[in-house]
Amino acid sequence: MNDPGKNEPIANQAKELFDDSVERLDAATLSRLNQGRHKALAELSHSGPSVTWLRWAPAAGVAAAAVVAVVVMRGPQVDELEPVTASDFEMLLEEDGFEMFEDLEFYAVLDAVAAEVNGDVG
Amino acid sequence: MNANVGVFAVSCTREQLTGAKTLQRERQLNQFLAEVERRALRIAEIAVRDRDEALDLVQDAMIKLARNYAERPVEEWAPLFYRILQNAVRDWHRRQKVKNRVMVWFGRGKPTDDEYDIVANTPDPAGRAPDDVLQTHEAMQRLEVSIHELPGRQREAFMLRTFEGLDVAGTAVAMGCSEGSVKTHYSRAVHALRDKLGEHWQ
Repeated sequence: MNDPGKNEPIANQAKELFDDSVERLDAATLSRLNQGRHKALAELSHSGPSVTWLRWAPAAGVAAAAVVAVVVMRGPQVDELEPVTASDFEMLLEEDGFEMFEDLEFYAVLDAVAAEVNGDVG
Repeated sequence: MNANVGVFAVSCTREQLTGAKTLQRERQLNQFLAEVERRALRIAEIAVRDRDEALDLVQDAMIKLARNYAERPVEEWAPLFYRILQNAVRDWHRRQKVKNRVMVWFGRGKPTDDEYDIVANTPDPAGRAPDDVLQTHEAMQRLEVSIHELPGRQREAFMLRTFEGLDVAGTAVAMGCSEGSVKTHYSRAVHALRDKLGEHWQ
């Protein structure tokens, strides 16, 4: 693949300086990176469908409680639209909710890039 | 009875396979993160000009990769990881803007970049002469400031391509844009850096 600018002298010089600065990272910083990596790996051993589901459990519980409360207070004859509850907003504004949308966007980009690489586009 | 023993044996074998697979994935992920973490930290640090903040961003990115994408093919991890990290850096900049507005409202200006001194954080483990070390530090500092002053997308393209060594396709995935955009951003970044650093560099 044509890779313009890859061998620019300024890029090579910048890369040398950057690599040098990476080598000079102090022990305390390396230790914190190490801790962060182990936290991430611990996440791996706890991940899985059941745990993913459990992350939504508190929000789902609040939503269920809100629905029960509305049904009990208003009785069975609900003719109009249900009001949007605070928990709906809470769920929408949850950080993971945004991540979900980001993921969808990410896979769309991934597909587009793959198509471009395979020459399907343009 | 024999059928029960057979079912038990199959069940155990499956569990062993799943356990072995998880262990292998954990090893692969550990290797990937160990390989990428230091460069990722420096890339984040140049973008946000704060080591503690950069450490937090890198750790969060590692956790999100493990949590959401560990099952993806290994060769996809690098662009995925940098995609997560770049998003986190962009969010950080958005939050900083809001924070700075609030600080200005309360009469406290934002600290300038000049207050951040990378030299203070980086002793030289190679034991080089202080003059050499100082010269390299100064060159790196000029480079960092110049990269930091680039528009965000140019900065991302330059660091991902030059420092992390991602190819155009991988950088496009990490930045969430087309390969053509990556080439444009990268080319503009190189020209801008050449203009900024021209008098000090070749």
